[in-house]
Amino acid sequence: MDFDLSEEQQLIYQYGDQLAQRFDRKYWMENAATHRFPTEMFQQIADDGFLGVMVPESYGGAGLGLFEMTLFMEGLANNGIPLLSLVVSSTMSLPLIARYGTEEQKQRYLPDLCAGRTKFCFAITEPGAGSNTPEITTIARKSGAGYLLSGQKTFITDANDADFALVVTRTTPRSEVTRKTDGFTLFLVDLKAPGVDRAEIDIRVPMPESQWQLFFDDVQLTEADALGEFGRGFDILFDTLNPERIVVAAICSGLGRYALGRAVEYACEREVFSGPIGAYQGLQHPLAESKALLEAASLMTLKAAWCFDHNRPTGEAANTAKLTAADAGIKAVDASIQCFGGNGFTGDYGIYEIYPMVRLLKTAPVSREMILNYIGEKVLGLPRSY
Amino acid sequence: MKVLVCVKRVVDYNVRIRVKPDGGGVVTDGVKMAMNPFDEIAVEEALRMREAGHVSEVVAVTIGDKKSQEQLRTALAMGADRAIWVEHEEAIQPLGVARVLKALAEREQPGLVLLGKQAIDDDCGQTAQMLAALWQRPQATYASEVVISGETVRVTREVDAGLEVIDVDLPAVISTDLRLNEPRYVKLPDIMKAKRKPMDSYTLPDLGVELPPLVERLETTPPPARTGGFKVESVEELVATLKEKGLV
Ligand SMILES: Cc1cc2nc3c(=O)[nH]c(=O)nc-3n(C[C@H](O)[C@H](O)[C@H](O)COP(=O)(O)OP(=O)(O)OC[C@H]3O[C@@H](n4cnc5c(N)ncnc54)[C@H](O)[C@@H]3O)c2cc1C
Repeated sequence: MDFDLSEEQQLIYQYGDQLAQRFDRKYWMENAATHRFPTEMFQQIADDGFLGVMVPESYGGAGLGLFEMTLFMEGLANNGIPLLSLVVSSTMSLPLIARYGTEEQKQRYLPDLCAGRTKFCFAITEPGAGSNTPEITTIARKSGAGYLLSGQKTFITDANDADFALVVTRTTPRSEVTRKTDGFTLFLVDLKAPGVDRAEIDIRVPMPESQWQLFFDDVQLTEADALGEFGRGFDILFDTLNPERIVVAAICSGLGRYALGRAVEYACEREVFSGPIGAYQGLQHPLAESKALLEAASLMTLKAAWCFDHNRPTGEAANTAKLTAADAGIKAVDASIQCFGGNGFTGDYGIYEIYPMVRLLKTAPVSREMILNYIGEKVLGLPRSY
Repeated sequence: MKVLVCVKRVVDYNVRIRVKPDGGGVVTDGVKMAMNPFDEIAVEEALRMREAGHVSEVVAVTIGDKKSQEQLRTALAMGADRAIWVEHEEAIQPLGVARVLKALAEREQPGLVLLGKQAIDDDCGQTAQMLAALWQRPQATYASEVVISGETVRVTREVDAGLEVIDVDLPAVISTDLRLNEPRYVKLPDIMKAKRKPMDSYTLPDLGVELPPLVERLETTPPPARTGGFKVESVEELVATLKEKGLV
């Protein structure tokens, strides 16, 4: 076993430190306050070649794996500048197109996506199907030579800025399939097509991205818009849900580290009675404990990414990483806020604002409960309650 | 023309420096290390010279333990053509470094040697000057602008009195100041290319150089902790206090 990162991987991990010199937490917060997409920062990331980390070089990417993607994302979060849009595009959509797309689809989408000229969002969740994905009712019905897409998606990150959406849809209604996960197909949908409408959701978590409801009213699709094998969309989906969990875990560990770094600096300086407050074990131990939990989660996250890249079963490690990283991130941010006393709640110090994001990631993209269900049922073999 | 750029592995400038409990230096174990920021500026300047067509090859060099190869890799990822690693485990001091660099300059015959004006660990600020003396070539230190024209180079230097502009003949030694340029980002495709770029390694005997320590460090102590400030009531009191403390 070798825990050393290669020089190349170290540079990828440190990229966030570099980027943060130009686009720092303050820049991120300014955009986050109004859900403005951070165009300048995104373009810099594109120019530096990081959008297509997992896309083969022949299509404009770097040809690396989820491991490097995870290092890159954790490096951004270490600096307090995470981007959820990179989860739905660079981690989920691009590698999926690279893996399952036809040659024509790859040529059509990937070079532009890697260069940041176009963007994808990823639409799974529906008002009636969040944790219970097989209950999706959005459907693409055969019509002449093509398909007509109708239905509604919700909480779709970045659906206003994105040019395309990867839409998880039924092609056979639930009532006509024997296994509830049968009859799904993934479609590449142009969000400028007639019949696509959207409405913004009022999300109170400071982040540059915004979330949208997407409405499809008989949107015209062709066979060539389907990604991967027809009717087997659910199988493909798992190639993207594990990576999603893994990079989200990386974001949690990174944000936790960022908060801890800020808190340690403050706690070494602030004096209330005699000596710095960081010496009080009431403050010090929660910081130390969070540090330990964050590093353990971070290691599990890299293991999960490694499993994915090596075609090993990834579910257990990915879910464990997401669970432990979200918990550790929340704990770390909470312990950090406590060090700042009243200052922790001011805009000047900007510490409290880290909390909503790590807290969100306990619920989305997959909730803590659904993760425990997975570990309970699939890993431990316990009976299912629902 | 070939440019030799010298880079040093130092504790990252963002890291809060801590002194070892026994006073024998600062803690580097488990601490984030990085390329000395002034050296990053030197690498950037060399790359810009190459892009402007004045330079055909940029060679990055470092002296240090195996881990210092990481900083060479960073220089290669920024765009340097190749790297030279001089293996040396122990601490290094300016005169020793200058001797190694002189030996390399004689081998490589660069038209220009670029270095940071100082390394942010020991803040000696001596290597460039010593190298120029040993190599017997002109020096231009603290550069904030460098313009190459034919066989000479015009350097704007940041000195106490303001800006000084001098012309020096090439080959020359130039040390870089903060305002010379803003170093570029390392791009992912370049990181991957860097992996395949050549890195030569030498030992000190290879270069015929010995580095006996010339300076003995007796003790390292942290700076005194900052004591809290206090408020004064009026301008008069402020002036009086400053005078009392001998500050004005
Ligand atoms: C900011 C944000 C961004 C998002 N971005 C996207 C996106 O880009 N694309 C996308 O498709 N979706 C996105 N989502 C949706 C997200 O994935 C869902 O909100 C999440 O999967 C939970 O589904 P739900 O909201 O329907 O909750 P529900 O499924 O209604 O769950 C409600 C609660 O019940 C619990 N629960 C449900 N079933 C069980 C059970 N069997 N056992 C125990 N507890 C259970 C859940 O854990 C949860 O706590 C986003 C959401 C948010 C808030």
